[in-house]
Amino acid sequence: MHCAPAALGDLSQYLEPYWRTYVHDGGVHLNPTQGGAYPPVVLTGATPASVEDLRTELLDPAGLRTAILNCTASFHCNRNPYYEAALTSAINDWLVGEWLPRDDRLRASMVVPTLDADAAVAEIERVGGHPGIVQVLLPVRTDVPWGNKRNHRLLAAAAEHGLVVGLHAWGRVGNAATPTGFTHSYLEDYLSNSQMIVQAQVTSLVTEGVFTRVPGLRVALLECGFSWLPTLLWRFDKDWKGVWREVPWLDGRPSEVVRRHIRLTTAPAHLPRDPAQVRQALDLLDLGALLMYASDHPHVHGDGGDRLLAALTEAERERVTGRNAEEWYGLA
Amino acid sequence: MTSAVPRTRKSAPVRVARTIVDADIHPHAPVTSIRPRLPQEHRERWDLFASRVPGPPEIYPRVRNSGFRLDSWPATGAPGSDLQMVRDQLLDEFDIDHGVLIPLQGHQWGAEEPRYSAALCRALNDWQAEEWLAQEPRLRGSVTISIEAPDLAAEEIRRRADDPRFVQVLLSTGGELGFGRRRYWPIYEAAAEAGLPVAAHTGGLEQHRGAGWPSFYLEEHVWNGNTMAALMMSLLTEGVFAEYPELQVICVEGGIAWAGPLMWALDDSWAQLRADVPHLTRPPSEYVRDHFWFTTQPIEEPDDPADLATALDHTGLGDRIMFASDYPHWDFDSPRHAPRLFPAALREAVMGANACRLFGLPEREVTA
Amino acid sequence: MAKLDEFPTGERRIVQVGQRTIGVFRVGDRFYAMNNYCPHMGGPLCEGRTKPWLSSAAPGEFVLDEQEALVACPWHGWEYDLATGQSFLGPGEPPARAYEVTVERGTPERIAGGRNGRRPGPYVAETFPVHVEDSYVVVDTSSRPVAAGAAGGER
Repeated sequence: MHCAPAALGDLSQYLEPYWRTYVHDGGVHLNPTQGGAYPPVVLTGATPASVEDLRTELLDPAGLRTAILNCTASFHCNRNPYYEAALTSAINDWLVGEWLPRDDRLRASMVVPTLDADAAVAEIERVGGHPGIVQVLLPVRTDVPWGNKRNHRLLAAAAEHGLVVGLHAWGRVGNAATPTGFTHSYLEDYLSNSQMIVQAQVTSLVTEGVFTRVPGLRVALLECGFSWLPTLLWRFDKDWKGVWREVPWLDGRPSEVVRRHIRLTTAPAHLPRDPAQVRQALDLLDLGALLMYASDHPHVHGDGGDRLLAALTEAERERVTGRNAEEWYGLA
Repeated sequence: MTSAVPRTRKSAPVRVARTIVDADIHPHAPVTSIRPRLPQEHRERWDLFASRVPGPPEIYPRVRNSGFRLDSWPATGAPGSDLQMVRDQLLDEFDIDHGVLIPLQGHQWGAEEPRYSAALCRALNDWQAEEWLAQEPRLRGSVTISIEAPDLAAEEIRRRADDPRFVQVLLSTGGELGFGRRRYWPIYEAAAEAGLPVAAHTGGLEQHRGAGWPSFYLEEHVWNGNTMAALMMSLLTEGVFAEYPELQVICVEGGIAWAGPLMWALDDSWAQLRADVPHLTRPPSEYVRDHFWFTTQPIEEPDDPADLATALDHTGLGDRIMFASDYPHWDFDSPRHAPRLFPAALREAVMGANACRLFGLPEREVTA
Repeated sequence: MAKLDEFPTGERRIVQVGQRTIGVFRVGDRFYAMNNYCPHMGGPLCEGRTKPWLSSAAPGEFVLDEQEALVACPWHGWEYDLATGQSFLGPGEPPARAYEVTVERGTPERIAGGRNGRRPGPYVAETFPVHVEDSYVVVDTSSRPVAAGAAGGER
């Protein structure tokens, strides 16, 4: 589920004086739509919430045991690497100071600067040990894929602190959605997260060997769909058989590496309309073992989530709505 | 390798279908065949630079045998440059009825300076017609075009429209912009007018934006399916099919099975975002099933072929899938072996009948 | 099939024997013979490049064996052990089966389950015993009960 500061002013007390002047003098603000990712009148759009709102809108009525807060407000940061480090630190302090203490059911993802792996490692060392922090949240839109060598120490630091690395939809608006550039339609922009970009990240993480270097690394794909995964892995396994000598550290089939190291959340659940086909789609990869329930509150992605839950067996539903995430995040 | 290889026919192969059409064969035009076909004004640039547009292999070396079947190199020249070798290794070897040529030089040449690009593509089409199509009746050609100069591309399409040996217009997946953009519409207008499908073959300008640049060929090659998804989404969301309701598009060498999940995502999102794409008056999956075709190689290969049957069933595109070998590339699919993986119910249509229907080619006569 | 002194190390011969073609390889002092047919897609297997084993403990580390031990199909590059014909990269390898012991023809190392962490694939290219007799390299294509260690004759 999501939370976000209503404005940068909410973070002032967590920013150093220099950055308060930088924000004021530069007219720097938190873009309310996160660079067009969450247009407020679109159903997938964001509404910042308070702990009280969350309780009445979601935690109580849904009877949730545990909820993980994801604040993506820093994803659309400008390109000043020092400001990004200050902003992400401020958001982490805000989460730890103003959200986690107010409800026992809450856990949170920390954010890190994306332009400077050293600064990201330092931030993980600073706040990653907090018992309420369970995940390092990264945008799927990046300058360089997360599996790239230059990101390995960031990913290793997360694993060392027992944190899951969560790749979440969107990022800087300047990282155009498609290989051929920006899109006119929001639909295309939105679907690029699941249909292209996150798939490139999965391919990168597996191919570039970070799971060989950091065997304890666990990754979660957030708000990026999941129904695309089986066919991607068929393609990936097939190619690996012919060209494995390029990447000999990848010493097993890519699909096996994904199964060991990656989980996916249920929103958006892009699935067929026919319930029988939904079941078939899930069986192509035993998705009941890989999915973790996400409300994505307050975003709405249509009724695919209902179609998913209706197609799960009782045992799968128990895994998907609880145990898979409890095991992945060590919540139990 | 030192010894000559004895060339003997293997035991009489079982023919997997009545008609066999190969929808993706890559010929290669030798430089010496192009220069004389260029107008004088472009020869100096040709002599200086040939083509400056980098092909993807410049960035991600094809780590398997430079990207080719190791046995496809002629004594001189590049794989695919020798018609007799294509006959020996492909058309005769597998008793193929019709083969569609896709000269990938068009991907780079199509992105050169507009007038130079148009001259190169015209020369490449002349070479196809004179050196291949005129020599080998089983072959059909692709109209290569100046992709980034669509007005000149449309001229070339109209120039070839009356030559029945050209059966499609060749597009790449990597363009300067999304291929749904209005800038490219003159290509679609001319193709629709000529009754030619547009074949989008993976490759072209190599760009990685959303996630950044990968490091390895393995990543790049897996991602080919995603570039095709990007092309499909762009054509749909920009309204190309509302403007050209007759237009048919072939997705060549990008896989197929991903199309099902993409259609689910498109339909679910369209239900929420109709105001964003007002020209899509029906669920996007219906446009996909009305306008898109696919070629097989490199088709996804799950452990259990029944899963492929399920995934293809989810696409609802079984009557729009066409066999392709991708000769002479390293991941060549043999028309004898690859069909084992295809769902039995689709095999006859995929191996030939679908392509004959799209391209207006005759099926093989049945001898009773 | 050839005189030993006309068959230097690193070379191969592809010869016609009845209905089939067979590739004979000399790697160091060892000879190997394999049916010139890739069970994956029917490619001329013995026209492919020979390869040493390659392993890696971490990204960026490459450990290449000195001796060539595999032949890569000239089409898709699927690799087969020169001595046993075992593929280590074929499709349809259900993970659960990697540790099952099955009775099949071939050498013990083929059945033992993998090499450098790789699991054997379902495909096995056909190999033949080769030995040296009176300065001649002899490939035995007679029907035979394939015994452990039969392939890859030592000089």
